[in-house]
Amino acid sequence: MKLLEIFRFELAYQSRRLLTWLYFTALVAASFLFVRGNYLADALYADFFLNSPFVIASVTIFCTLFWLVTAAGVAGEIAARDVETGMHPLTWTAPVSKAEHLGGRFLAAYTLNALLLLAVPVGVMLAVYAPGVSAEVVGPFRPAAYLTAYGVLALPNAFIGTAIQFACAALGRRAIGSYLGSVLLLLVAYGGIISVLYFLQRQDIASLLDVFGHIYITSDLVLGWTPIEKSTRLLPVDGVLLRSRLLWLGIAAGTLAFTWARFRFAHHTPRSWLGVMRRRDAHAPTPTSIDAATQPVSVPDVPRTFGPGLYARQTLAIAWASFRVIARSRAGLVVLVVIAALAVRLVPQNLYNMGTPLLPTTAYLLTFLTTPLSNPMTPWVIIPLLIVLWAGELVWREREHGLGEIGDAAPVPEWVGFAGRFLGLALILATWMALLAAAGLLIQLQMGYGDHQPGLFLGVLFGLQLPEYLLFALLALVVHGLVNQKHAGHLAALLAFALIAFAPRLGIRHNLLVYGGSPGWTYSDMRGFGASLGPWAWFKAYWAAWALLLAVLAKVLWMRGKESGLRTRLRLARGRFTRSTAVAAAAAVALILALGGFIFYNTNVLNGYASAFDRKERSAEYERRYARYAHVAQPRLEAANLRVEIYPDRGAAQVEGVYRLVNRGPGAIDSIHVATVPGVETGAITFDRPARPVVQDDEHGHRIYALGRPLRPGDSLRLGFAVKALAHGFRNGGAALTGVAANGTWLNNGDLLPAIGYQFRRELFSPGDRRAHGLPKRPVIPTLADAQDVTGEEGSGGGAERLSVSAVVGTAGGQVAIAPGVLRRSWTEGGRRYFHYATDAPVGGGFGFFSARYAVREERWNGVAIQVFHHPGHTANVGRLLHAARASLQRNSREFGPYPYRYLRLVENPVRRMGAHAEASTIDYGQGFALFNPAEDPRGLDFPFAIIAHEMGHQWSVPYAFAEGAPLLSESFAWYAAMGVVEETYGRAHLRRLLRFFRQPAPIVPIRQSQPLLRARDPYAAYRKGPFALYALSEYLGREREDLAWRRFFEKHRSGTPPATSLDLYRELRAVTPDSLRYLVHDLFAANTFWQLKTERATARRAAGGAWQVTLTVRARKVTVDPAGKETEVPMDEWIPVGVFAPTAGWREDFGETLYLRNHRIRSGRQTITVTVPKKPSDAGIDPYVLLIDLERFDNVEEVEIER
Amino acid sequence: MELHIRDVSKTYPNGVQALKDVTLTIPAGMYGLLGPNGAGKSTLMRILATLQEPDAGTIRLGDLDVVKQKDAVRRTLGYLPQEFGVYPRVSAEALLGHFALLKGIGDRRARTEVVEALLRQTNLWEVRKQKLGGYSGGMKQRFGVAVALLGNPKLMIVDEPTAGLDPAERVRFLNLLSELGENSVVILSTHIVEDVAELCTRMAIIDRGQILLEAEPLGAMEEMKGRIWRRVIERGALPQVEREHAVVSTKLLGGRTVVHVYADAIPGAGFEPVEPDLEDVYFTAMAGHIGRRRERPEVAA
Repeated sequence: MKLLEIFRFELAYQSRRLLTWLYFTALVAASFLFVRGNYLADALYADFFLNSPFVIASVTIFCTLFWLVTAAGVAGEIAARDVETGMHPLTWTAPVSKAEHLGGRFLAAYTLNALLLLAVPVGVMLAVYAPGVSAEVVGPFRPAAYLTAYGVLALPNAFIGTAIQFACAALGRRAIGSYLGSVLLLLVAYGGIISVLYFLQRQDIASLLDVFGHIYITSDLVLGWTPIEKSTRLLPVDGVLLRSRLLWLGIAAGTLAFTWARFRFAHHTPRSWLGVMRRRDAHAPTPTSIDAATQPVSVPDVPRTFGPGLYARQTLAIAWASFRVIARSRAGLVVLVVIAALAVRLVPQNLYNMGTPLLPTTAYLLTFLTTPLSNPMTPWVIIPLLIVLWAGELVWREREHGLGEIGDAAPVPEWVGFAGRFLGLALILATWMALLAAAGLLIQLQMGYGDHQPGLFLGVLFGLQLPEYLLFALLALVVHGLVNQKHAGHLAALLAFALIAFAPRLGIRHNLLVYGGSPGWTYSDMRGFGASLGPWAWFKAYWAAWALLLAVLAKVLWMRGKESGLRTRLRLARGRFTRSTAVAAAAAVALILALGGFIFYNTNVLNGYASAFDRKERSAEYERRYARYAHVAQPRLEAANLRVEIYPDRGAAQVEGVYRLVNRGPGAIDSIHVATVPGVETGAITFDRPARPVVQDDEHGHRIYALGRPLRPGDSLRLGFAVKALAHGFRNGGAALTGVAANGTWLNNGDLLPAIGYQFRRELFSPGDRRAHGLPKRPVIPTLADAQDVTGEEGSGGGAERLSVSAVVGTAGGQVAIAPGVLRRSWTEGGRRYFHYATDAPVGGGFGFFSARYAVREERWNGVAIQVFHHPGHTANVGRLLHAARASLQRNSREFGPYPYRYLRLVENPVRRMGAHAEASTIDYGQGFALFNPAEDPRGLDFPFAIIAHEMGHQWSVPYAFAEGAPLLSESFAWYAAMGVVEETYGRAHLRRLLRFFRQPAPIVPIRQSQPLLRARDPYAAYRKGPFALYALSEYLGREREDLAWRRFFEKHRSGTPPATSLDLYRELRAVTPDSLRYLVHDLFAANTFWQLKTERATARRAAGGAWQVTLTVRARKVTVDPAGKETEVPMDEWIPVGVFAPTAGWREDFGETLYLRNHRIRSGRQTITVTVPKKPSDAGIDPYVLLIDLERFDNVEEVEIER
Repeated sequence: MELHIRDVSKTYPNGVQALKDVTLTIPAGMYGLLGPNGAGKSTLMRILATLQEPDAGTIRLGDLDVVKQKDAVRRTLGYLPQEFGVYPRVSAEALLGHFALLKGIGDRRARTEVVEALLRQTNLWEVRKQKLGGYSGGMKQRFGVAVALLGNPKLMIVDEPTAGLDPAERVRFLNLLSELGENSVVILSTHIVEDVAELCTRMAIIDRGQILLEAEPLGAMEEMKGRIWRRVIERGALPQVEREHAVVSTKLLGGRTVVHVYADAIPGAGFEPVEPDLEDVYFTAMAGHIGRRRERPEVAA
């Protein structure tokens, strides 16, 4: 009864508060914006309904996270209002039990929060049914979808969140405790999930720890469901989701029980942490004499000088006091130290790429330790949340302690109070930076890495990361100062943060419009900060000017005294708008205008600001205007003579060139279509015969020249051109993208030089993009059937171009420039260095120019010069690269045909990632390669070696059609070739380690619903399933036979006319396959087949003569899956290996000594297999090495049970 | 230095008129502002302390405009609010030092000197290292006085300082206040008549936002001489006495009621003259027999 009354009173009280309704409104707005901002575009693109159960569930989860941090005040206020308002002596002495007191309040808080979360379905429905959504993405209204999301996600999340918030506030006796509870819950939950994922690699435990259903909805659902399922399937309440929900509801209930047990209706005596150690009198002190003031009160008359000196001292005093308050609070230094310690513990677990350990260089660690404020998707999102909390505390501390009136009446200018608090925040943030630097140094020490760069650590953290936070700290302080209601202040400040973080999703992408926004900075060993600091600093200076203006606003509207009415505050503000304030405001406005104008001039005038939509629209317009020329016959580009001038210091490059174009077609050609590169200045184009420009559209990059005299079949034509890539100021996204850097220039011909003919690759290809820009539907990539019709002359071929290049490249003295071909000569002229390269055999259509202060290591192999151009400091893996190149040359030229060039170049490119990329005769690899530390690899796998072997495989590639199945010919083959090299170099066990890594679902996730390999184009098919299939076939056929098929395939298609397709390969594979295995070639390549092989039980028993008889019960099934996800079972009757193994010797290998490994005839369904082995077996199973495509890779082999 | 308050009015957004045309002239020395709860004392005090804005009227402290020149006023202001708190985990010495800096004592040595002097004056010197959270109400109040005294204020505003003090603390506290400098304007707002009687040379009585009487306590009592009459009656007789006479106050005494009646001559049988004290002045003014309410009887009704 009493509980009900408490419940009723609280609910009524809260529903009368404006703040409650503000929370509700904010939640409606958040869910509305999330649906419109995040899913509307996706729904259009990916063919699912905007109001599908999947979208509603996702929005619900996102919004409960939003609710958790913004509306924490609800539970906090209810739990701690009695103490904060001083009502507790009345309520606590009422004859109400603890259970009723807490129970009624908790129920009220939970009910209120549950009601608040009704805002989510309201927001979703608004977003779906309000104007602005095209009817085709709106599905039928399904109450069940909303109810499931609300019941399964929102209600439990509200319970968990409210319980933690309530406990923190009730036990801490402060409403603010609830915010801290939210932050801690996020930290513990997500920190726990991340550490489980990285430490233990246990997806299952991580899913169990999933507090809000976040992992569930973002991994399993998005990846596993088809668009149709996403549109229609309701959220199933079973398995993982149910378990995690129950676990967390249990934790929440436990927290409530703990709260009940610990809560006391008792006066709270503040205790200091040191109090236990310091002995103290038991009584409050009382002065001794009763008539103390017998003499007149006289206070020494000390001089007081009001002026800048005093104000500076006051500011510092307030700053120091503010710093101490935050540092000593529960959400202060302790939390920061814990987070830094977590970073020390967790970051090393992330120092892996593809499972290979990485060196903790300072530059690389900084990528973990820093993040722009606007990125909410890192654990550091906790810092802005804490900043909001801290700002609230600083603004409210005096008033909450009843010192507001005394402090307000002190002769302290408003700006001193504001600046002092801001400096206090700055101090704590600087402390955090110092902690992070210490954490980074500790990580390096504990990993035994010696090349510390404390200057870089401190420079980046204090010079680049701290300003990021300071700008936000100022905003948070201003918001709290202006709002003048603590919880509403939190709400407003968090909303401001959400706006900053989600601005791009709401379509606000210009950094001039998002508070604190700027392009990112980058740092790498080769390029240093390069040109990235300038634009960063301009934008930050612009926002600092805004911050100054905000500070002025805060100064004049700062709450002082008792007048909180808006009108009075505005009147007071007029009085506070003194001369110096006016000067500051004017200076801020002037700076904003000047800096903003300068930035705008750079980003929008010099560089032409284009949103992603604008850029796509340009592609669409290109297609609309010029696609009609796609099939107009064009001459082939067969030779290019280039003079490339690179100016590293100016960030500019210039190319003058002559193309030799040959008409290889049957008819005369009367016009030349030249595709110029938008963003690059292409000058006049000249021909060695009369020609007149018909179309010159450099915005879309298409020119047409009519030839005075048609180019007859077999004739050739010279085309001269000049292009300039100049850095014009900077862009919204950062420094100008010329590819030229002071050290580390990388230019690709496709980004610079004109091309011949209509460029099919510029077309938008995703169905959603095409629909959004009003283009007709077309296959993402030409179908095989279309590709058969295309001939090389039409220029739409992908890898079909072959040309010889002669290039003179000039660069700054001290740098080495690289271009395709053999180095003929190099010389110095006018302080610049020149290099002349000429190809000795045609190269593919793509090639690059590099320039940097490279060091070179060179080796020869059978007349081929192998050179590695690397950053002088990046020597660790150079030997490995050379080894991989040599081993690949050795094996590939033996198996697949001779290497076509007399040189091979490996060039370190300036990109910070680990990827590598192959063009004919040249492989470039990212600077990240220098981080690889395979010697420490716990798997004993030399993955960098395998990557280079893969890129080497590409060197044997032949011109292939840009069509379905192309990845099989490029990427899958390259891995197949690399597997051979790895096995030949390191042995079979090493190859198995590589394959075992390939079977992991990360970083490339298995995709079931797809096309057969002959037509597939997804990354799983290209990089995993394709290589697996090629490898499996080689195990069945014998490696030599399959290599022979490839060799024949390459020989037939080297000319490139017509370009090869996957069907050509399929023909060769079938040709080397005996009839008995034709089914396998079909299953692997012509169907999207998955095997489901499982050993249910394996038993062994002693047989005569010390042998063992092993009996396996296996279950086999084979299915094909179509792109829509439909499964069709295929009957099985085929040869599959069965293996029996002795106990393992080392943990790196799957199995011990092979006791038995032979193919058995396996049918669909369950069957028993009995084999005899000479020694005691340990493991046995079907397809033990998972040759066949089987996504359940752990159930093939079971431990053998020994029967007595 | 004098404080001139002219026609100050203040109405709250909820319609309560806290001050109506208040006009007072307050000379240096102790000045008592006496009135019941809710009379508008605190509003007036906060306006004087620059923390609230009057809707109308002017306030001048010497040459300073209190409403407009807030910062200048604050430099010479000592304010002890009716209710205030402290940071529980900070020592008296540290917090007083902090406020000393806020009040403009920038020099560290001077600050130490002032802090020590004030803590000794307020008899908190021995407990200066203790956390304020452990202070009793009286100690806290004295600490507040120490804060208010920082910077030798010319205007001291002390709002209901004795509420909640035990008798010994109250004596100690009033002693301290009485010794405040002669040159300063000290305004003591209270609803306790004795506070004013014991300390103030001048006083004003305020009720429902209006000044009912401005006087010197001694003079006011002198003027009332011979006009206050006392009678002890049965409790049930009170309504009749109230009908017949101008009752200014009633008190219980041993189960019977003592009434004080205002009259120029003996009002009737059973009444005896009493020497008027300040309480009689206060109640008489409140009842409208003297002061402004008498001049405007419609308000008293």
